[in-house]
Amino acid sequence: MSVSSSGVRLHPERALTSAARQAKLVGSALVGPALILVIAINILPAFYGFYLSLHKVFFFANEGYVGLANYAALFSDPFAWQAIGRSLLFTFCSLAIAVPLALLAAMGIRRLGRWGSLLLTVLLVPWAMSPIVVALLWKWILVPSPGGLVGALFAAFGRPPQDLLTDPMLAMPTLIAVGVWRNFAFATIILIGGLGQIPKDLYKAAAVDGLGALESFYKITLPLLAPSLLIVISMLTISYFNEVQLIIGLTGGGPIRQTNTLAYLLYNTGFVELDQGRGNAIAIVMFMINMALIAIYIRILGKQPGAAA
Amino acid sequence: MKFAARLVLSLACLIAAIVALGPIFWAISTSFKPTNRIFAVPPEIIPLSPTFAHYSRLIAEGVQWAFLNSANYAVLAVLLSLLFGTVAGYALTRYPVAGKPAILLIFVGAMAVPGFSVLLPTQLLASELGLYNTYLVLPLLYAGHILPFAVWVTRAHFASIPRELEQAAEIDGYSRAEAVWKIVLPGAKPALLASATFGFLHCWNDYVTGTTMVDQPELRTLPVALIFFQGFHGRDWGALMAGVAIATIPPVVVFLLFRKYLIGGFADGSVKG
Repeated sequence: MSVSSSGVRLHPERALTSAARQAKLVGSALVGPALILVIAINILPAFYGFYLSLHKVFFFANEGYVGLANYAALFSDPFAWQAIGRSLLFTFCSLAIAVPLALLAAMGIRRLGRWGSLLLTVLLVPWAMSPIVVALLWKWILVPSPGGLVGALFAAFGRPPQDLLTDPMLAMPTLIAVGVWRNFAFATIILIGGLGQIPKDLYKAAAVDGLGALESFYKITLPLLAPSLLIVISMLTISYFNEVQLIIGLTGGGPIRQTNTLAYLLYNTGFVELDQGRGNAIAIVMFMINMALIAIYIRILGKQPGAAA
Repeated sequence: MKFAARLVLSLACLIAAIVALGPIFWAISTSFKPTNRIFAVPPEIIPLSPTFAHYSRLIAEGVQWAFLNSANYAVLAVLLSLLFGTVAGYALTRYPVAGKPAILLIFVGAMAVPGFSVLLPTQLLASELGLYNTYLVLPLLYAGHILPFAVWVTRAHFASIPRELEQAAEIDGYSRAEAVWKIVLPGAKPALLASATFGFLHCWNDYVTGTTMVDQPELRTLPVALIFFQGFHGRDWGALMAGVAIATIPPVVVFLLFRKYLIGGFADGSVKG
């Protein structure tokens, strides 16, 4: 009696678990190809890079295990420290210009209606271009001759043309300007989305309470925009920190190492000089810094509604 | 007061538009000038005697083959990422998957890892596996780069489509696969176009992966061919700006055609979830 009743109770449960197990199998099989490709291409190389960073590797030939010698050499090289400093300078100066500019553009575009979406499209055109092509283009814009565009501007102010890319004081600011020109509008997209989520009633209530435009910007817009701002800042930080194509195309790390960022040092050591052991040590350091930045990025994304679905 | 504010805003927009498009316009203008007019003082804004000489020069150098390579690599990578990405995105919203939180974390993390920080070990790995200097290495790598975004965007979209829609179709006698193909996928068009556009821009615009994974001239991408051209012919600005123009037209046209989906995809995928 008890046996048969438990048998009756068990049977549908067992059918259910086997159906659930089958669904889980199908689900995993469907996710599998994408997961394998992503791991193989985006994650596995990092581990292989760590393995190689412990070896002396020159011109594709592994000459044996050297322990942490590559790292020791890297961290005792003042140029490597200088490169980290240049990376941080490039990243944070670019951010300091791009983020306020993007916010200004986002607020202006929202006020403009149909013309606003046209302006956003126009501003995004440089972002749709290849960074190396942007570098070629700006190299021509900046050519130090009265026949060049910037040269003609200098001439209009009665100044001789100046080579901004070979001037040690001006190369980095010029690089930053070109970088911001290319991609600040991308941040604008996300900020427009964020601004759209702030309830309009708040501004009306603030106006009733006698708050000025500037005050409601500080007390309503900025705090409520914080999630979008954080996303924008983390995405741009990663993008600027890893920028290498603009540097390859515009300055090649010069003049006198002024634009020799960690990303460019990696390019030069690993791909040009083919010191691949040491290059991989730089790559691992860069990867670690990226992971630290991404940890922040995931924390921010993870807090968004729907991210856990 | 209101009028003055409007005026300032319009003026600012005009300046912004000129700063954004002016350099591109200047490059295109240069590409149509005869070589002896390129450095004319004062600069000619619009070429007075336009010529196609710089474009024919690029064709004489075989740059069109690099253009074709870039296009093929990008299309292959986009198709691959759409196929795998859509299937994975669908499964992640409709099926129980072992280790789902970890898998999502891998996709988000991979989306944020810039390819460049793992490019050097990737080059050595590709060379060990015999993939270096092959036709497939770039499409495969590009597909891996853009897949996480494809998964993320399609997943967000499938999550917003009620399961009942498919169930209704299944009650009407469709199989599950048919229901997905006829009901769910057409509705996911915005997400598919967003990830295809993003993917195309990524592949077409890449330089570092292209220059480090292949070194045979027949396998080169367009940006790599342009940098080689610059290396051989130095400051031939007319031809270089013609190269800039042909390298810029495809991504800008694709962006202009699908900007609505791309912008929507970024808003959905990152801010609204």
